[in-house]
Amino acid sequence: MIDALAYTVVALAGVGVLWGIVTAIANKPPGKAQLLYAGGLEAVTVVQSILAAVKIIGGFRPVELATTIGYLIGIAILIPIAWLWANVERNRFSGIVLAVAALAVLAMTLRLLVLWTPAG
Amino acid sequence: MRGVRAQQTGSAGRRTNSGAGRVLVAVYGIFALAATARAGVQLITRFEEAPLAYVLSAVAGLIYIVATITLARGTRASRRLALIAIIIELIGVVTVGTLSVIDQEAFPRATVWSVYGIGYGFVPLVLPILGLAWLWHTRPHAPQPVEGRG
Repeated sequence: MIDALAYTVVALAGVGVLWGIVTAIANKPPGKAQLLYAGGLEAVTVVQSILAAVKIIGGFRPVELATTIGYLIGIAILIPIAWLWANVERNRFSGIVLAVAALAVLAMTLRLLVLWTPAG
Repeated sequence: MRGVRAQQTGSAGRRTNSGAGRVLVAVYGIFALAATARAGVQLITRFEEAPLAYVLSAVAGLIYIVATITLARGTRASRRLALIAIIIELIGVVTVGTLSVIDQEAFPRATVWSVYGIGYGFVPLVLPILGLAWLWHTRPHAPQPVEGRG
């Protein structure tokens, strides 16, 4: 985990949440730009999980190792699943589905920042 | 039209996996993942600390998984299973929530349902209510003739 990258994920996910809500209010399915944005958010999230995994493999031990690994995997798989689920039936609710996933990634990344302290 | 719909869904009512139902399934899916993973970690790494709480965590995870799959399928048979799962979920979150407030000894460690799901923004308390409301909203409109489903 790199703090700056984590906060980038939080900020990007926050925009993703708002974007999903906006398209839902506009009663539109997510457009190409929004889907690409979700892809970008996913890319940054995956980079973050990989860097964290490298640090753990390199010997870093967070307080709650198993929980931390679970969160690192969780944030990486949520957006792709939501992306597929949102695209099966494209309408205003697709945007909310993307927003829900982005919110989960946001919350989990904030939790990871807390978890990412070395075990004493 | 009706025939096609019945063939798709096995139900004369609206599908539980359509429209707002897709959001409900997404939220249930996240809780299925969160509760199951959390219970897995708790049971594997420190079961002896709070066996009751951690077993309940696992039960909660299982219920979320069943609710997610049955709501996502949206057939008539899966609606019934979803109803059962969500009723158990509601009883579970209210019971565990109340017990965790009254008797903190029994729940020294947080589970997904502790204090009505405070660790998850009380979504665990609201979710079964939304689930039941959604099942009611999408209920079949008229009794079906007694025959095999389409």
